[in-house]
Parts: sequence; structure tokens; C-alpha cells
Amino acid sequence: MSLDPHILKNGSFYYIKDGGADFILEDKTKRGLTVKDTSIDEKLNVKADKGMIHDMDGIGHWVPIRWYFSKALFDFNKISEYAEAMEKKYVELRELTCPDDSD
Amino acid sequence: MNYAHPEVLVDTDWVSKNPPNENRKLVEVDYDPVNGYQKGHIKGASLIWWKRDINDPITRDIINKKQFETLMSKNGIREDTEVVLYGDFNNWFAAFVFWVFKYYGHENLKIMNGGRKKWELENKEYTTEEPRLALTTYKAQPPDEGLRAYLFDVSRALGREDTVMVDVRSPKEFSGEITAPPEYPMEHAQRGGHIPKANNIPWATAVNDADGTFKSVADLTQNYESKGVTPDKDVICYCRIGERSSHSWFVLKYLLGYSKVRNYDGSWTEWGNMIGNPVEK
Repeated sequence: MSLDPHILKNGSFYYIKDGGADFILEDKTKRGLTVKDTSIDEKLNVKADKGMIHDMDGIGHWVPIRWYFSKALFDFNKISEYAEAMEKKYVELRELTCPDDSD
Repeated sequence: MNYAHPEVLVDTDWVSKNPPNENRKLVEVDYDPVNGYQKGHIKGASLIWWKRDINDPITRDIINKKQFETLMSKNGIREDTEVVLYGDFNNWFAAFVFWVFKYYGHENLKIMNGGRKKWELENKEYTTEEPRLALTTYKAQPPDEGLRAYLFDVSRALGREDTVMVDVRSPKEFSGEITAPPEYPMEHAQRGGHIPKANNIPWATAVNDADGTFKSVADLTQNYESKGVTPDKDVICYCRIGERSSHSWFVLKYLLGYSKVRNYDGSWTEWGNMIGNPVEK
């Protein structure tokens, strides 16, 4: 039996998974990053697993890997909204760094 | 059995009892000073930030002799100063700076065994106060190229029986499954894998996991010699950007006393990005 939470929605840059009492929103670009802390993400004000990414100068920055939204407080559509906003951000970033010249 | 050069190591208790003075300087070397030195460091320690202080700001290279002399001056170091290095990330970057200091001929140099990791495990004190250091005049030696391997040295060494390549990266980097861990997205290469015939002896196999201190001579000897890395060989260490390989270079040269060990600081971010370089997976 798989222990992985069931995937409810799959974007290019995110998953929304069923975590029992929570909806779990996962950032695919942070795949493989070691979870070093679990605490409240101040932006979304929910519990999040966080890792650290080092920039060009070596400075470490805390980044959320996945967020836990309580089903008692959030409905699926709201999580979808957050997920699509994240998707839009990454699509725009990809367009900026690797523009599609086909059109 | 003792290390070949026990004079290059001091322990955390020694550092506690021997604070910096006119003739002894303590230097923290960090990859990430925001989460290291700036949050707290050993009293009296100055900071060398690997990215800012040890690398040329424009060209990918370590600092030149004149830049090194300026760095020494800023840190209050004279030619005969005893310098004790320690740092974050298991002393990787402290070892890199040790290598650069030796490259420019600084003699009286030590590493604090275990670095920040051990100091913190022992709940020893930190401060955020930065020392005021008087500028010095420092005259460096010409670079000792016998400590450094360049791309052409590695290319020439391919297939030579008397040279052994030590890839100190993780097994996943060695096999090409990843080119860099997710924590370091800026350090990828175009190709994954390793230099043909290199031995994978991860840096971590040289340290005790619990506190980051170096393993015993017997353990280190077994670790390297069982893979054909013997004192009679010309040894070239490499990793991704040359810092973990400095750590293994330090182990082989100063703890085991190998005479011919070089650090290839171009490492995989050079080799794995060059067109036409042979790669083994």
C-alpha cells in the first residue's frame, strides 16, 4: 500500500495532495530539498515544511517546500487559487529566462 | 599513531584557552556568513567570506597574490602570525582557505578540528562583536603550483598509472544521477558523471559523523589505501567547486603525509561544462 498522499490536482509546478486533515500544496521546484524546519509560513499563515537554498553568494534562504492547509479552515478552491498563482509566477519566470520564440 | 603533521590541528578546548592576540589570529571562514558569522562567532575571530574574499570578483579564479596580501592585511595577519581557521559546512571552506594560504606560502597555519559544528555541540560561547584589527603589511610568497591542479593537468593525467583521481562528491553526484544537490541550484554542470577512472571517496568518509572531527590515522589509511590512493601516487582531489576537495586534500597531505597531492579547484563545474571532456558514468 502506498503511503504517499493521494494527488488531487497536478500542475506543471505544483501538486495538491490529500493529507487527511489537511490539503497539502507542494512546490515541485523544491523537489529533493531536505526539510530543515517546519513552521508557520508568514505569507500564507499556515504550517509549512521549509528547506534552505543557497544563492550565488552562498547565502542560505529559507524556502517553503510544502504547505499544510487545514480542511476545517480552507476549501479546495482556495488552495487551487494559491496553486495557480504559484504556477503563474513560475511560468512567467520561465518565459523570462527561456522565452519561447515560436510565436 | 599520530597524524603526519599534528601541528596543523587544534581542538575546540585549545581555542577556548588560547584566544587571539598580537601574534595569533582566529579566522572564521564561511560559505554563508549571514547564517554563520553574523549570527555569532568565537570571540576575537575575524571573517573571511569565501565568495567575497577568496574569489576574484570578475574572473572565476582564486584571488591573486596582491589580493591575498590585502586580505591578510585587513585581517591583521603578518607573515609570521599563527592563524587558526574554522568555519561552517564542516570546515570545507576553512580547508579551502587553508589551501589558498599554503598556495601563497603562509607557514603557521592551523584548523580547529570540528569547526562550528563541534563548537556548537559543546555549547561554547559565541559573540556578535567584531574585532578591531590593525592593518598589517604582508608580503606573500609566489604561488606554490605544486598544490594546485588545473584542467590541463587533469587532462594530461587521464590514463596515467602513477596518478590517481579522488572524486570526493556524494555517490549520486559521482554516478551522474544529480549534478548538484537541490540546495545549490547555482552549481550545476551541463553533464553529470565523473572524470574517467576517478575513485569515489566522499569527503565525509574522513570525518566522524557525530562531531565533524577527523578520523584516526588507521581509519583514514584504510579509507584511502583500500581504494588505491596510496602515498606513492600523484593524487588529484576534486569535487564540484573545489571546497570539499580541499578538505580531502588537507587530510591526505597533512594528516596522512602524502607528498604529492593537488586540489583541482575547477572541479566538476569546470570539467562537466567543457565541450569534449570525457565523462564516465
